[in-house]
Order: sequence, then structure tokens, then C-alpha cells
Amino acid sequence: MNRIVIIGGLVVVAGLAVAVYRAKLGAEETQGRIDDLKAQAEKVEKDIAVLRAEEAYLTRPERIGPIAHERLGLEQAAPGQYVASEALKQRLGEERLTLPAPGEAAEGTGLPAQ
Amino acid sequence: MNTYAPPREDVWGPRRARIIAAALALVFVVIVGRSAWVVFNGPERSDSVSATAEKVRRADIVDRDGQLLVTTVQGWSLAADPSAIWDPEEVAASLKTVFPGIDTAQMAQTLSDKKRRFVWIQRSISERERRAVKSLGVEALRFVEEPQRVYPNGALAGHLLGYTNVDGVGVEGIENIYNDRLSAGGQPLRLTLDASVQYVLEEELQRSLEQFEMKGAAGMVIDAHTGAVRAIASWPLSDPRKRGDEPDDAKTNRAINARMELGSIYKPLTVAAALEAGELTPADEFNVSGPVKIGAVLVRDPHPLPHAHAVTAGDIIAHSSNIGASLIAQRIGPQRLQSFLGELGLLGGFTTQGPQTASPLAPTDWDETSMATIAYGHGISVSPLAFAMTYTPFATGGELVSPVFLEPVSPSASQHRQVMSKQTADTVLGMLRRTVTEGSGKLADAPGYEVAGKTGTAEKPTANGYDPNRNITSFAAVFPASRPQFVVLVVLDEAQPRTGAQRTAAYTAAMIAGKVIARSAPLLDVQPVLVSTNAEAASLRDSEGTTP
Repeated sequence: MNRIVIIGGLVVVAGLAVAVYRAKLGAEETQGRIDDLKAQAEKVEKDIAVLRAEEAYLTRPERIGPIAHERLGLEQAAPGQYVASEALKQRLGEERLTLPAPGEAAEGTGLPAQ
Repeated sequence: MNTYAPPREDVWGPRRARIIAAALALVFVVIVGRSAWVVFNGPERSDSVSATAEKVRRADIVDRDGQLLVTTVQGWSLAADPSAIWDPEEVAASLKTVFPGIDTAQMAQTLSDKKRRFVWIQRSISERERRAVKSLGVEALRFVEEPQRVYPNGALAGHLLGYTNVDGVGVEGIENIYNDRLSAGGQPLRLTLDASVQYVLEEELQRSLEQFEMKGAAGMVIDAHTGAVRAIASWPLSDPRKRGDEPDDAKTNRAINARMELGSIYKPLTVAAALEAGELTPADEFNVSGPVKIGAVLVRDPHPLPHAHAVTAGDIIAHSSNIGASLIAQRIGPQRLQSFLGELGLLGGFTTQGPQTASPLAPTDWDETSMATIAYGHGISVSPLAFAMTYTPFATGGELVSPVFLEPVSPSASQHRQVMSKQTADTVLGMLRRTVTEGSGKLADAPGYEVAGKTGTAEKPTANGYDPNRNITSFAAVFPASRPQFVVLVVLDEAQPRTGAQRTAAYTAAMIAGKVIARSAPLLDVQPVLVSTNAEAASLRDSEGTTP
């Protein structure tokens, strides 16, 4: 009886040992994948940091201001360009009258027929 | 005789079996225990991975809209292994071709120490330098990857941002003040600064060189209601990328760390003190036609005022009369003037969350003489930032607001203290507006933005008294006057117009302040006062009302 118990125990222990070994291997493999992913994420984060720095460098006011002026003709908003909301409402109302009626092709305006 | 000898009982057999069983049971328990440990606690991680995970990236610094001002990228530093170098002189000479700043003799000596396995050659090198070093083909050099602080906007807000040392520790400005917060990583540190307004301010200070010769300048744009500092600059500009390797002139942050006598921009404070004390009304008249002796000082006006025999406080501010300001101060006396300026934080105790301003320099004994000169801004030195905040009551109906540098700006982030009545604040604000429309501040006018402000011209104090040939010119403003939102201060150090015009604030600082306001107001969403458009709107409203 004792012998059977001992042999049974040995079998269980051997089985567990194999299971633990496999679990360990699996864990190491998973850990390796996690480390790889972390390294990739870290690299991507570094790349993002560089890209954000480059973006900030390219969009700095010192650079954008002259480009907007030279290439797009943009100027600082002048007080005369502001319109009171009442006046804007009125102007928009007038402009609506000039728009083509629904269904008509807006020839030359680029507006699609509805 | 043969005797029967019963077989000896093997007493050790069962014992051996039990010992083996116990040993096996122990092994079993260990294995099961370990299995359970693995199952519930997961696999152990290697030290290198943990170390990598613990590296914290220093937090970025952004402006109020999230525009990146400072960030950290992985950079490279150059190191060497002296024990592997055969000819240190040759290596030093080669390195000199890439890094002209290095001392070849000293470098050769460092590289000659064969006992050392690691020495730094150059920290934080650029990609171009890295490639150049690689092309040298020198052995025993190695590149070490390490974080590098980057300032993509160059010198923009350089004085305020400060910089870190090569080890990434903040040593100046915001980098130093909030070093713990930045070192902890996490979300970017969001400043109240507006990068666009900051650029406008710095550019106008820089451009003023075309019109004036000057030694230095400072300027700021502050939200009067919250204390949020939208722009603050000191010229010459400081480039954080140089890590303090600049002339002393550029190192000094004149806006915060310098203290100076700012001249007549104190006069509105004197008037406010007298109004608040009930010793002055806007209609009171003063005779400022001749010099007046108060205490030990003979107070003069550098230029005569129109109708000098009978001028009001409004005239005194608009045309900047020293005599008038002294006479007003005389009504309240030295102690009450001292107390009022103390309430405004000009005599110390001015605290900010963020950069600390230079401590003020004021008289220890407030007598008639010091009172008379301080009434027009001589004899008291404060930092421009501390002074700028004293104009916030004129924009807030009497509430003094302390400056704030970090978003989000909450009511608790800044101190708010009622230092004068709304009536006093509004009265003085009206006088400041008149100074721009009729008085010495005409060049500060920015159409549509109703600038209200005051000029200040102060001769610089020397060991032998005031120097009439060197002065500080300033312009302190609130805009727009009908619904005040921002305080602007521009200070120029020894500005001399190249045109030969007078070197007073009316021709120097006022003009620069006007340009800063005209350009920054749209960026700050300040609606201009639409005189013509309002009229148009009114006519439209009328026509709408009459149209059937």
C-alpha cells in the first residue's frame, strides 16, 4: 500500500514538475513578448516626442507668422474687420437671398444642385 | 546444538520508508507551494526590465493652448574608455574638430588616465555631432543614450522657462521652480502663457531696437481679473538651449528679478490713495505753475502744464505733473501714502505662486521728502511684475490680483484683495484713458482697444544722485477702458530714440506698449470697440424696425 502511495506521489510530483516547468517557460515567453512590446512602445513614445518637438518647431509663431503673411496674405485682424452680431445677422440674411434656390444648379459658383 | 534463531526483525525498513515518504512529501509541498506562488504572483521579472520601467520621463511644459514649449527627447552623449586609448593627444585633436570648444590639452590629460574606464567627453550632443564623431573612426569612444531637454521655440519665453543642467535637473526659471513636479513626469505642466502673445511681446521689444538704442527692456501682458500672466519678457532675450552660457545682460530677467525706479506711472496710485482717503475729489484744483518745496526737495515739472494755475487730478495724470502729484500726496501725508502702497504690495510681502519677484527697495523713514518724490515714482524701486499688478484694481473695480503662472486658473490660485473702492478705481481709470486720448500717452493708442495708461520717465539713480542722461521709461496700461480685461507694462532701460526725439516715455515706452496691445488684443479675443460697425448695426436695427 505504502509503495503504491509513494509511486503515486512520485507520479504526481513529476507531473507537477513538468507542469510548473511548462508554466515557467510560457511565462518567460509571455514576459519576452511583453518586454518586446514595451520596448516598441518606448520607441514609439520616443518617436512621438521627437515628432511633437518637430511639430512645435515648425509651428512656432516666429516661423508661422511670416509664412502666413507671405504665402497666404494673412494679416493681423484689424478692428474694422470685426462686425457687430446684429450687422452680421443682417448681412447673412441678405446673402441668403442671392443663393440659388434648392434644385437649381449654381452655375459658376461651384455650388452643387440640390 | 542447533537452535532456532528467528529472523531478526528489520526495524529499519519501515523507518526508511517513512523517511523517504516524508522527504517526498516535503518535495511535494515545496513544488506545490512554488507552483501556487507562480500562479498567484506571476513570474519574477529581471532587474533590467524593472529599471527600465522605473525611468520617468520629465514632464513637458506647454502654453495655455497646449502649444509645446519644452519637451524631452532621447538624445546622445559622448563618453570614452581611456584604458582603451593608445594616443590621447590624437584623439583629443580629432574631437576638437567636432567640438571646437573643448580644451585639447585638458582632454588629452583626461584620456591619459589608463585606470579609468569611463569619462564623459560631451553631454547632449546633436545628431550632426554624433555623425561627425562616428566619421572620425576613433576607437574607445561610445555614445550613451540619455534624455535631452528640448526647447522647440528657441528663445521664446526663455527667461521664464529657464533651463535644466545636463543631468536634467532644473536650475533656472519654471524648470527650477517646478522641478519636483516636472521630474515626477506625467501630464504636461500647462502655463498661463500664450505663445502667440509672448511672441508678439518679444518681437516688439526686439523691434524697438530699430527705433531706439537701449540697454534692456521688459514687458508683460496680464489678465487683470485672474492674474494669469499671458506674456512676460525680458530683453536681451535668453536662450534656454545655451544653459546660461550668455552675457550677464541676457541672464538678468528684468521683468521679475530686477528692481527699478519706474517714475510717473506711480502718479495714478498717489491719486487713488488721496481719493480713497477722502482728501481729494476729481474737481479739486491745484496750482502747479512753479516749483514747490516739500520737505527737503524742490519739486519741478520738466515741462509746463496748460492752465497750470488751476489743474485737476485728471490734468496732473494726463500731463504728468510732478508738482501736482506731490501736492496731492501732501494732502494725505507720508504714513497714509506708505500704507496705501503697502496694501498694493509695493513695500514687500508680495508673494506669487511661481517665480518670486525681486524684493522692493523703499525708504525706511517715510517723511515729507520721501513722500513728495515717491508720489511721482522716485525713491522706490520694485520689480516690473510687482508694479504691473498694482494696475489690476483699475481694471477690476478696486481689487488687487496676484499673478498666476499655471493653468487651470481657479479663484483660489490668485489672491484677490479689495484695496480701493470701485468709484476710486473707475475715476482713476477715466483719468488714464484721458492720458492716452489727450495727454502724454497718445502714442500708446491702439484704435479700437481703448487704451488707458500712464507714462513714466525716471532718471537712473547713481552713487552721486540721479543721472539726467540715463533713464528708465515705462508705460503701464489697462485695456479696453470701457470693459477692462488686461494690464500691460512696458519698461525700457536707457532707451534713446534714434530720430533724436526726446527720450521720455511718451516717445518710447508708450509707442511700444501701443503696438503690443494692437497686435495682442485680437490674439486674446478682445473685441474691439466697433464705433463704425455699431453705427452700422444701429442703422440696421432702425431699418428693421421701420420695414413693414
